[in-house]
Amino acid sequence: MNERPFIQINDLHHNYLRDTPLEVTALQGVNMEIYRGESVGIIGRTGAGKSTVVQHFNGLIRPRKPGQVIVDGEDLSDPKVDVRRIRQKVGLVFQYPEQQLFERLVGDDIAFGPKKLGMEPAERRERVKWAMEMVGLDFEEFKDRFTFSLSGGEMRKAALAGVLALQPEMLILDESTSGVDPRSRRELLERLLTLHKEHGLTLAFVSPNMEDMAGLVERIYVMDDGHVVMNGTTREIFSQPDELHEHGLGVPQVTEVAHTLIARGIAVEQIPVTVEEGVKETWKILNS
Amino acid sequence: MSVASVEPIIRIEGLHFHYNPQSEHPIHAIKGIDLEIYPGEYLVVVGHNGSGKSTLAKNINVLLKPTEGDVWVEDMNTRDPANTLAIRSEVGMVFQIPDNQIVATIVEEDVAFGPENLGVPDDELQERVEWALGVVDMLDHRRRPPHRLSAGQKQRVAIAGVMAMKPKVLILDESTAMLDPEGRRDVLAAVRQLNAEGVTVIAITHFMHEAAEGNRVIVMEAGKIVMEGTPREVFSHVEELRALQLDVPQTTELAYRLNQLDSTFPPDLLLVDDVAAEIQRRVNGRSGE
Repeated sequence: MNERPFIQINDLHHNYLRDTPLEVTALQGVNMEIYRGESVGIIGRTGAGKSTVVQHFNGLIRPRKPGQVIVDGEDLSDPKVDVRRIRQKVGLVFQYPEQQLFERLVGDDIAFGPKKLGMEPAERRERVKWAMEMVGLDFEEFKDRFTFSLSGGEMRKAALAGVLALQPEMLILDESTSGVDPRSRRELLERLLTLHKEHGLTLAFVSPNMEDMAGLVERIYVMDDGHVVMNGTTREIFSQPDELHEHGLGVPQVTEVAHTLIARGIAVEQIPVTVEEGVKETWKILNS
Repeated sequence: MSVASVEPIIRIEGLHFHYNPQSEHPIHAIKGIDLEIYPGEYLVVVGHNGSGKSTLAKNINVLLKPTEGDVWVEDMNTRDPANTLAIRSEVGMVFQIPDNQIVATIVEEDVAFGPENLGVPDDELQERVEWALGVVDMLDHRRRPPHRLSAGQKQRVAIAGVMAMKPKVLILDESTAMLDPEGRRDVLAAVRQLNAEGVTVIAITHFMHEAAEGNRVIVMEAGKIVMEGTPREVFSHVEELRALQLDVPQTTELAYRLNQLDSTFPPDLLLVDDVAAEIQRRVNGRSGE
C-alpha cells in the first residue's frame, strides 16, 4: 500500500509508575499500522497492553522516545501538536462508561463535545439526536433522563453517543460492549459497521470476545505481555488455535468445530469464522 | 437429579418487585415469579438487560425485599429483618466488577475478611482461607496484593472471599462479564468445583455458552420466567430465544441451521464435540455405503 497509514506506531514502549519501585512494563516495542477505512481488532488477555496502546491513538498517553505515534501525519511526540484536534479525529470509548459520563442529563452529556466545538444550539440538537439514533437511544425518551439512572447497557450507549457526536474519523471501542446484552450489542455493532462501510469510519475494537470480532474486523493484532505476537487477517489468526491458546485466547465456537473436524481427519476447505460460513462449509462437507 | 424427595433450599412465591414504589413512575421489575431451587443445583438465569435477572438475585439474599409475594431461604422469610444476617451467611453473592468486592491489601486477608467478621475462630479461619483459595486455584498467590492480579484472578479471589463464609448458595451476578476467555475458563472451573462439592449455584449471565454449564436454565423477559428446562431443551428453541433478544451458542445455531437444510440433522446439539462427532458420523457413514 502506498497510502500513508492513518495511525502508525513505531517501536512503542511504555511503563506505568516509571522510576518507582512499583514500575510496571506495559509495552515493549509495539509496531502497528492502521489505514483509513479499515476495521481492526486488537485482542489479548488481561494485562497484554491493549488499552495502553489504544490510549496512545488519541494522545491520552504521549509516546516516549524513541517510540513514535503518528496520527494522520502528525507525530504525537511533538509537544506542539494540538491534541484536541487529534481527539476530535480519533474518538475513544472506555470499558467503564460511568467514568465517561459527567453531566446530569443524558442529552447534555452527549452535547458536551459539540458545544465545546462551538456548534450552534440548533445544529447541536440535530447532532445529539443523530448520535443517539446511531446507538439506539430514543432521543425524546432519554434526553432528559439522569445519567446516573441509566442501566449499565444504556450508560455504554450514552458514552458511545457522546463520542460519536463529534463525528470522529476513527472510533476506538475499548471493551465498550461488555455488559451490554447480546441483542443490543449486535444492534450497536451493526450500526457501527454501517458507518464503517458507508461513511468510511475507521474502527478499532479491543475485545476479548472472539465471536464478536469475527463478524466485525478485517484484520487482527494479537498482543501478549506488551508485544504484538500475531498479526494477520481475521481468518489467518483464527486458523491458528494453538497459538491463540498459548496467549490465553480462544477461537469462535464455529471455528473450533472446524478445527475439531480437522483433528478427526475430515478435510475443511476454508476455516469458517462466522456461523454463516460454518453452515456453508459444513453443508459442503456433508454433501461432497 | 431427583428432586421429588428433597426440600427446596430457596422458595419464591408470587414475587413482585417495584423500584421506587412510592414515586410517580415506579418500575415494575419482577412481575410474578414462582421458583423453587434445590440443594446442589446449578441454575443459570439468562435474559437481556432489564429483564429482571439481577433484581431476582438481590431478592434472594435480601439486598432487596419483595413488594409482593415471598422469598424463603431454608424456611427463613426474607421479609423478617431478624433473618437478614442468617440468610446472607447462607447465600453469598459475587458481582460483575471484582474490584468493588475486594477490601484488603493481601489476598489471604481479603478472603479472611468475611469469616473473621462472622467470628470464626483463628485456627478454623486459617483452614477456611486455605480451602477457599485452593478451590479457586489461587493458593500460590495468597500473599500477593490483589491489585496486582489479573481480572480473572481477582474475580476468583472475590469468589474465595464469599466461599470462606461457607454459604450453601453462591449467586454469580454476571461475574464473568469483564473477564478475558482465560479468566472466564478459570472462574467457571472454580464454580464447577464448588458445585461438585455440594454448593448450590445460581449464575446470571449473558453468555449463552456459559448457560450450558448449568443443569437447569431459566429465561427471563420483562420480569417473568418465560422458558425453563435443561440447557439442551432451552437452546433448541432458537427462534423463541431470538425473539427474546437472546443469542444461542454458535454450535446450537450451526446445528439448528443444518437441521433446516436437512431435517435428519439433530437441531439440539450443544457442545463443539457433539457437533463435530455428528458430522464425522455422517461423513463416515456415507463413505461406508
